[in-house]
Amino acid sequence: MGFRVQPGVIGCSIRPAIVTGQRSLEEIIYDTGQLALADAGLTIEDIDGIVVASNDQFDGRAISVMMASGSVGGVDRDIMSTPSASEHAFVLGALRVASGQFRTQLVVSWSPTEVSSLAEAQRLGADPYFHRALPLDELSAHALQAAALEHAVPGARQAADAIVAKNRAHGRIAFPTPIMPTGAGPMRWPVTPEMTSTPVTGCVAMVLAAPDFIAERGARDVAWIQGVGWATETGFLGDRDLTQAPALAAAARQAYDLAAITDPANAFDLAEITDATPYSELLAYDALSLCARQDWAARTGDGSFARDGRLPVNLSGGVLTWNPVFCTGMIRIAEIANQVRGKAGVHQHANARRGLAHAGSGFAMQYQAAVVLGREARS
Amino acid sequence: MELLGRQETWNITYDHALGETASWFYTRIRDEAAIYGRRCAKTNHVLVPPRAFSDETLLPTTEWVKVGPGGRIEAFTMVYERFNNLPDPPYAFGYVLLDGADTALGGYFKGIDLTDPHQAAKKLAIGTRVMTTFSAVRKGEMLDFWFELDG
Amino acid sequence: MSSDRVGIVGIGQSAFRSRRDDASYPDLVREAVVLAMHDAKMELDAIQAVVYSLSPDAMVGIGNAERLGVDAVGGRSKPFLRINTGGATGISSVAAAYYHVASGMFDVVLTAGADKVGECGDSQTVLNKIWDPSYERPLPLGTINMLAMSGVRYMQRYGMTEEDMARVAVKNRRHASLNPNAHLRKVVTIDDVMTSRYISWPIKLLDCCPQSSGGAAMVLASERFIRDNNLDAVWITGVGHAAETYWMGDRMGNNPTAEHADAYALGRSFEKSYRMAGITDPAKQVHVAELYAPFSNTEYHSIDAARLVARPGDSVPRLRDGEFELGGRIPVNPSGGTLCTNAIAVTAMARVAEVALQVWGRAGDHQAKGARLGIASGNGGDHQIFGTMVIEA
Repeated sequence: MGFRVQPGVIGCSIRPAIVTGQRSLEEIIYDTGQLALADAGLTIEDIDGIVVASNDQFDGRAISVMMASGSVGGVDRDIMSTPSASEHAFVLGALRVASGQFRTQLVVSWSPTEVSSLAEAQRLGADPYFHRALPLDELSAHALQAAALEHAVPGARQAADAIVAKNRAHGRIAFPTPIMPTGAGPMRWPVTPEMTSTPVTGCVAMVLAAPDFIAERGARDVAWIQGVGWATETGFLGDRDLTQAPALAAAARQAYDLAAITDPANAFDLAEITDATPYSELLAYDALSLCARQDWAARTGDGSFARDGRLPVNLSGGVLTWNPVFCTGMIRIAEIANQVRGKAGVHQHANARRGLAHAGSGFAMQYQAAVVLGREARS
Repeated sequence: MELLGRQETWNITYDHALGETASWFYTRIRDEAAIYGRRCAKTNHVLVPPRAFSDETLLPTTEWVKVGPGGRIEAFTMVYERFNNLPDPPYAFGYVLLDGADTALGGYFKGIDLTDPHQAAKKLAIGTRVMTTFSAVRKGEMLDFWFELDG
Repeated sequence: MSSDRVGIVGIGQSAFRSRRDDASYPDLVREAVVLAMHDAKMELDAIQAVVYSLSPDAMVGIGNAERLGVDAVGGRSKPFLRINTGGATGISSVAAAYYHVASGMFDVVLTAGADKVGECGDSQTVLNKIWDPSYERPLPLGTINMLAMSGVRYMQRYGMTEEDMARVAVKNRRHASLNPNAHLRKVVTIDDVMTSRYISWPIKLLDCCPQSSGGAAMVLASERFIRDNNLDAVWITGVGHAAETYWMGDRMGNNPTAEHADAYALGRSFEKSYRMAGITDPAKQVHVAELYAPFSNTEYHSIDAARLVARPGDSVPRLRDGEFELGGRIPVNPSGGTLCTNAIAVTAMARVAEVALQVWGRAGDHQAKGARLGIASGNGGDHQIFGTMVIEA
């Protein structure tokens, strides 16, 4: 089974909100949507449908799509919302184009920092039946996973430290003027302050289109969706083996099958992985079949995934460099799309013909997605 | 079978950035006891409350326009039911098209006897003229003003 | 459109009640899923992807509560995402499931959800939080008074009276008394409605929907899969969403594009669905309708927007003539509708489910005779996002 119609990405906008207070959240969303349209060479009139994603509890609005809909051009347009994860808005947008019933989709996600405590808002995601009384926010959940990995895989800590150094180095290039104060983020042992970054506000928008629309408009900078897969782990952390990521393995299989990829470790020019912590990146290497866990120590040590390595990972600097919590997933996808389109700016890879984007979100990466983007429509 | 329950309360605080447009609107209320709207470039409509862009045209709005203090009622209701964390009933509120504006602004209607809903509904009928009344001491928020029947 | 249609092969709904103290939230989801899978005569492992239907998390009291529903829908390691468009969530979820199949990527997709509105301390408190903090949050806005204001304008434009509103409640309660899944099934009279207490003028207690708890689920499949497996199905032939301005004051004043008395974007959404389904004269071609209307007055502008009458406002005299009751020309809300059952996260899915049952000939005592083509709608936000569908036998 595959796409009826193959969607391509023709525009992106990634916006760290560096100066807060000047623009309201809705105005930031408006700015980002407008920039993505401009990047695609389109106006809102060209958009058939919209999918947005945000977290009501982060936003402080009980139905976040409601007020944001005006900002993204939703008035008198077909708009839907997937608050489960930012990458899900990308997925639904792609499915709508793939159905042949929409020629274009604008997908937008955002993550503000207006709530007094993101950790508090996240803790509300724990069920009230058994887990609400525990200090279970997303970072705590990542830490549980990190602890499990340190126990199960010798050298995991050193590999994690190497990833931190790599992503920081990439981040310094991608953002010569730092987006946020460098240095310590929050801590949840064994995840150290050096391994995390303080949440900041961000917004991201992408424009997807069908081949006939792209041909009609003569759009040239296209990142074709060669494959996409997404899946979820079960809800209770205690029901999961935190040293494994079966949902990501399933998502990767789905994406690789669609893209006809049989040797993932050698199929990509670069990758963007959601490094909620460096341990998340390690686990993703394994589940995405980029690097088995017994090779983590060696490959993170020999520069395989560094800027000039065999498979550069997180040239954007990753989540470690700037962390707009809810939309980090769609940002990874947009980063790869930009790379393939030659629009990545300062951290552009010299030869990005095909890239892999990994999006993970929720408690210990409950939601996982993999997207293969390439210059060619067919692999 | 003994069925147990568990009570949970959501108590989260937010610090929302109002942005420059809404901020200016509120400073005019606080310092000038005046209401302003923003004009849409394409349709020329004066949008109240003001926004940085029109959601219909997606164009930035262009200039500030003072509106009111008189206006006409566009919609109203009288609430008689108690809801948690909302004011004690009865109260009336709705939307007023201030003179010079093209869209209506929400606010409370005060000074009307709400004991008989049918009489109150006649008094608040759509089209009724009202006047914006401001608090003597203002903080720069929506509750600094309300509407009273004109005449 | 392409020759491969998307069909509905299984439906499950709870018997909705105020409270379900016997079941946790995931239990309610599971209950509906089991019913739907049984109806589809399939095992859960036949499901290739899941769309989860859940509106404001605060109603259920768990942030991103869909994460807890993963096992209830058999979603481990499967493609899974959640939809939230406020009250329209249920129909938007069916639409999202439709796109999963129409994309060519999946043959069999499950959509499911549940709500426990009765356990939420006060749904209006939560719903006050849907308005923006910049301007409208300080006002005591809630969905009831927002739609009361719509009613006030509808009265002024089209002459609707409080008795006309009561007529809708009487009709829908009679329908609900014939529907074993409905929450409020007690028949009421016009006098009962007229003497019930005012909530927000002109809306009275019996003009309002209840706070219901329960779940709903549906299984969708591709035409090819349905044919290859000899399954029984009904077909989704039209789908569409449209939104209008968030600003209620922009739906009033000088020449508004969307008028707050009416349901502008609902009309635009129906235009899309009708176009897709090839319906050019809804008043003649539609046999049955389940239109999302949580308050009696809103059923009128929904009927107008669905173009089941010639002009906006005509719905009032037509309803008085009996056109929209079971046995009438086009039964509207033969299940009792949202007015009699409102488990917010799945209410709009129940609209689709009920229309599907109607055109399938499986609606039991509340069956509209001979119905083969029906429409469903869902409303979300501050009367702002609308999803619609056309379902055919």
